[in-house]
Amino acid sequence: MLETFTPAVCGSRRRQRAAVALFTASAIAAAATLGALLGLVGGVVGAREAVLAAGALALLAAAREAGLVRLPLPQARRQVPERWRFELPLPLWATGYGAGLGAGVFTFQPVSTFWVACAGALALARPLPAALCFSLYGAGRAATILWARRRGGEAVEAVERLAAGRGRLLRANAVALAACAALLFLAPAAGARLKVVAWRSLDPTEASGYVAFARQNGSVVVRPTNPIVYRGASTPSLDGDFLAYRDRAGIRVVRWRTGRQVARIRGPVSKPALDWPRIAFRREGRGKRYLVLRNLKAGTSRRIVTVSGALGRPSLRAGRLAWHVTRRRSSGIYLQTLSTGRRRTIASSRIQNLSNPSLNPWRIAWVAESSGMVRLRLRSISGGSTRTLAQRRTRGQSYWTTALGRGVAYWTRWSLGTRRANIVRARY
Amino acid sequence: MPRSKPEVKLDRGAEKLSAKLAEATTRRSFLGRLGAATLAVAGGSAVAAAVKPDDAEGFHLCGHTWTTGSCPSPYPPLSRIDRNGYPVHPQSGRPIDNLGRLVDAQGYAINSSGNRRRGPDGRVLAPAPRTRLCQDWTREVHGLNDTRIQGSWFRCCGGQIRKLVDCCSFSRRRINGDASLTGYCWGGRRVFCVQYYDTGLPC
Repeated sequence: MLETFTPAVCGSRRRQRAAVALFTASAIAAAATLGALLGLVGGVVGAREAVLAAGALALLAAAREAGLVRLPLPQARRQVPERWRFELPLPLWATGYGAGLGAGVFTFQPVSTFWVACAGALALARPLPAALCFSLYGAGRAATILWARRRGGEAVEAVERLAAGRGRLLRANAVALAACAALLFLAPAAGARLKVVAWRSLDPTEASGYVAFARQNGSVVVRPTNPIVYRGASTPSLDGDFLAYRDRAGIRVVRWRTGRQVARIRGPVSKPALDWPRIAFRREGRGKRYLVLRNLKAGTSRRIVTVSGALGRPSLRAGRLAWHVTRRRSSGIYLQTLSTGRRRTIASSRIQNLSNPSLNPWRIAWVAESSGMVRLRLRSISGGSTRTLAQRRTRGQSYWTTALGRGVAYWTRWSLGTRRANIVRARY
Repeated sequence: MPRSKPEVKLDRGAEKLSAKLAEATTRRSFLGRLGAATLAVAGGSAVAAAVKPDDAEGFHLCGHTWTTGSCPSPYPPLSRIDRNGYPVHPQSGRPIDNLGRLVDAQGYAINSSGNRRRGPDGRVLAPAPRTRLCQDWTREVHGLNDTRIQGSWFRCCGGQIRKLVDCCSFSRRRINGDASLTGYCWGGRRVFCVQYYDTGLPC
């Protein structure tokens, strides 16, 4: 390979540079494509399982590099087809050589790191970052051509000097793989994406990148750079410059930057969901609960639903209203389009406890509890499959209220024993 | 491990007999209905006299010596139910909701002291669904909408009479994934899964 990219073989220095450039580009592209495919498959497999498998593989590979175990590596013991450079024009064979080596699976593997990287790309479960990471492998392949040329003298001699240090390289590789294994076991992908946003807090709400939530001590916090606190408040709902929250008198709507009140709803009302100028809230009646939608500018109200079971915190966004109802024999997540009045059931169950939906203009999320398991579920509003953003296999913790931003989900995670709650965030 | 006692041999003989009975549709269905009616009327006293005093041995739960798996439940594979088919805690026998939490008569989750559980907002948690293992759980988990509690049999477990209950369906596949058995089901149904009710009657 090294003696292929020489002026003598290519025909001139200019053609040599072209060949190297094509080889490099195709090596990087092939490696990136492999990474993207692995990342795509990883999204189907599931992040947590793939991460643990990658960690195990890294550990095994480290043992192999250290000489503790003897394992054959899966590899194609082939070199690039030499006849290509006689039979094909330079652009084709240079590109072909680059693609063959950049893909990695069609050639020798001197160390096991490549397969650990494949497992890592699966665990990453995101095609674009996996493609970017793998493109470095392709660049490395191309670098061997460039490095050998720059060493001066015969390229083959340069490579032989490198091969003489194989022992040191294997030991260093073993250490690096062991470190990778440790990191992978300590930070499962699903957990690494989780971040605690606020401690002793619940009821997150998000709008335009700002987050508000309730503290368990009875205040509401709006968090731009310098947090703004409203005392004696709970169950906030944020929309642009407006904040709705519950206080002793009912529901209050303010401009959160200044605190100026813009609306007040009195009575046994709670759980506001604000999408200015509309607000949805729960009203308690005689043994029943009502979900009410009001236009704060026009002053009009209408009752959306009446239930005798549990009616949860609604979510109002982009002309859609979502809520949950829990009865003795079932629970369900419902969505109504306000302009048409069309109502549909997003999810229902006779077994699980489905609750606390939240909306953004494109997706809906909710909590699904079953015995010993709680999951945060996410689906496109228009339909399609439902996926799990987060889950806990425990009877001691559960999820509570949720909020959906653009590409970010927030939810309350709480302990059944202590009732302490935190707000966590994850990207999706 | 089976104990080599005459009573155990008798027990095994009884099991073989019951298996033969199960294969005979007409006789089995009659016995199943008769057994259910008898227990309902007499509260189990008539059954207690027919049950051996020694503990029954089972594969995955006491009293169940066949191979059909348990119905889905909050504490699998312990599919313990009350007399109406709703889940109860496998150890205490107290009512639980579908999330496995102890509940009071109104369905509110309670702690070990009997106080209603509260959420992170300090308010009492709303009741979660509590549904029947045979009719509702198998319907949702396995897509069956024809399940019924039909036949049953009784064994002595832990010093009290346990009623093992067949959850029957027209499905030819049981919860294990293989072919279902007729068991104590009737009317064309077969055993999909099993559950049990501890009567508390001493034996």
